[in-house]
Amino acid sequence: MLLAALSTGCVRVYHPIHGLHEPVIVDPTLPNLEDARVSVHCVPGDLLSRSQASALCRRVQVLFENQGAEVSTVTSAYRSPDDPFTPSDGAPPADEQASEPDTDAPRTELTVELRARQTHLSYHPLTWAAWTLTFTLAPGVTERTFAQDIVVRDASGVRLAARTLEGRTVRRSGAGVWVGNKLADWWWRDADDDLTSANADADLSADLYGQLSQIVFDAKLKQQVLERDVAARRR
Amino acid sequence: MLTFAFIPFLQLNDPAPNIVRSRDRARNLVCVRVEPLQGAVEYPGRIQPPRPRGDDADRSTLVCRERLLRRGLRAPRDEAVLNTLEDRAQDVALRVSSLDPALRDRTWLVETFYDHPEVLDKISFATQNALMAQGLSVSDRHPKVAPGDVEVLTRLDPMEAYPAACARYQATGSVSGTDALLALVALDRRATELQAGLCVDGRWTWLP
Repeated sequence: MLLAALSTGCVRVYHPIHGLHEPVIVDPTLPNLEDARVSVHCVPGDLLSRSQASALCRRVQVLFENQGAEVSTVTSAYRSPDDPFTPSDGAPPADEQASEPDTDAPRTELTVELRARQTHLSYHPLTWAAWTLTFTLAPGVTERTFAQDIVVRDASGVRLAARTLEGRTVRRSGAGVWVGNKLADWWWRDADDDLTSANADADLSADLYGQLSQIVFDAKLKQQVLERDVAARRR
Repeated sequence: MLTFAFIPFLQLNDPAPNIVRSRDRARNLVCVRVEPLQGAVEYPGRIQPPRPRGDDADRSTLVCRERLLRRGLRAPRDEAVLNTLEDRAQDVALRVSSLDPALRDRTWLVETFYDHPEVLDKISFATQNALMAQGLSVSDRHPKVAPGDVEVLTRLDPMEAYPAACARYQATGSVSGTDALLALVALDRRATELQAGLCVDGRWTWLP
């Protein structure tokens, strides 16, 4: 009975591969974007269902609003990657949620496009064979690699920044791996290093939202420089 | 029971956090996933090329290397700038080389405005190399302005200071008619991206 219960145990770890664990300088709790109006487009497809895209957009909206931005979100089906702002039904994409418009000061207009892709999936069949033969004492491993594409554009659609962040999740299932790691969590790992807790999700969120904040801040600064440059030339 | 205790130690070559690899150690790695064909070229003998009739399963290899310097050893901003320096230098050089073809005949000077001299030198060096890789002629000469000019320029808003400095460079002959100056400017301490500006014939332009 106990073994049956333990056999359903699994340890899921998050491993940032590229870009996600770069240092972030902006503090997402400070008003870094108070002079920006951001439209967040969460594009469903591949890794993101429509509801997941909507949930992602809501979280990113809160992230940017906490930094002082005026934010609207769009989760529409897109016709093609070359024409990201035209929804499949031909109608203009409707804002699902928007923060209160602020008419006081001119704000820098930015559009953030978010896409998620799965770039690799492996079930490691030998590990699952061992998992079966050892009655779940040997770990069965499932590994996914994902890419998060982030593009920031100005109001006219010119690309200001584009980054692809990559990470992977490794899920090790079985009684052996769960008990072994649980013991390690109790005996010698720090709380931050625990593998049987929800650290994986917390780390992934912190990395993704940190990088998003940094990329959008850098793009905002670039756009403001270019806007002022154009204004200076007109004078 | 003994076997039971050792089972979690399987798959230790996986760079993800596991029973012996802490989260911090895993985060100190930079990895890239390579396909068999590319991997066989880059890591001959270690990654097998695809079989002539194709592999049975979708195969790829995760290649990881430790960061040159341990995380936390450099200031986060320096770390962020230097980690992506090569890509960003190449990007700027590509944008510069795709400008007016007449500018290709000029001698390019590179000036970096950044807080830390050690990092500043690395940025300038990487950018000079990237410009040379684009077939441009590059000089390591640094344009100079008079001390009086510096006093005035440092009081100006950055958006006015750089165009004014550019005009002074030309007036003093520091950047002559056969030169072009590429400046990389850190405008905000929170930014990891440097803004690129161009000084040609006394006219300053921020590169898009």
